[in-house]
Amino acid sequence: MSAADTAPAEDGPVTMMDYFMQLEYHELLCPVVRRYASQLLEGRLVGHKCPSCGLVYVPPRGYCPICVVETTDADEIVLADKGTVTNYTVVTPVQYYGQEETEPFVRASILLDGEGGMMNLQDIVDVPVDDVHVGMRVEAVWKPPGERNVDEISNRSWGSAEGCIDGWRPTGDPDVPAEQLRDKAF
Amino acid sequence: MECVLLRPVPEPPRTTHTIEFPYTRTLGPVIGPFLTGLRDQRILGARTPNGGVLVPPLEWDPATGEAIEPDLVEVGPGGTVETWAWVTQPSRKHPLDHPFAFALIRLDGASTGLLHAVDAGSMDQMRTGMRVTARWKDERIGHMTDVVFVPEAAA
Repeated sequence: MSAADTAPAEDGPVTMMDYFMQLEYHELLCPVVRRYASQLLEGRLVGHKCPSCGLVYVPPRGYCPICVVETTDADEIVLADKGTVTNYTVVTPVQYYGQEETEPFVRASILLDGEGGMMNLQDIVDVPVDDVHVGMRVEAVWKPPGERNVDEISNRSWGSAEGCIDGWRPTGDPDVPAEQLRDKAF
Repeated sequence: MECVLLRPVPEPPRTTHTIEFPYTRTLGPVIGPFLTGLRDQRILGARTPNGGVLVPPLEWDPATGEAIEPDLVEVGPGGTVETWAWVTQPSRKHPLDHPFAFALIRLDGASTGLLHAVDAGSMDQMRTGMRVTARWKDERIGHMTDVVFVPEAAA
């Protein structure tokens, strides 16, 4: 939308006005997220493994909300950049103000191999949207080191690796049976 | 005497989130004609049943709740500053990009003060009780910012 859409006719009555509200938040990154971001720039996905229950949080939060215990650098582990799609949504973009996507795209949850850790809201690339499925094996598509940035990383831990990982592409490995993924997605 | 060395401290990394809501609002039977008037270089007020003139106009008299008289009346373009505050560092959303005054301006013919900007050049030029007059933008769209006020002496 632009001012021109609602600009009054040169001599007609003015009946509408643009009311453009803009809120700009500046947020300091907490130390745990800063470390996560610096590791991402190095091409490493790291998380915190809860010393009590063993759940892996990526990005790390500095605490396990289930056990209510603090996690620190001592609980940091390097995670695999391969994993399995545990669930996904196909988003059909509506062209509202600010929407930059024009074609249907996927946002998937990915359970990482090995120690685990769940990446949410991830883009699946190099495969038609219709072919994405639960159990599909995928690997991270890292940006080249010189092109990485962590501008979109925030304290709210939405599983973001945006700016460092372009998305996840199928490895071609055999699927993981969906039964094995129960209780893994959250 | 103790000497303290101040070293520059690197700023911690931070992120910026911008949320935008591009609303379009309907203006209604009073504000619509008021903004139409501004586009046409006229400042309009609403007459109340007891003889007052509200600028900017409202649909009801805030003192009594009664509906205003149907026809708006023209006021100004001159007026008197009732009170003011000098803005030394305008923000990007302020009506002027250099220091100015926000003032309550009692326009000639009005019984209320209109909050608006006075482009006075410097704070020395501002006085309570001073006369100001409208200065219109060349390109007007029917918005409050179609006009700012200037000291009558400078107009």
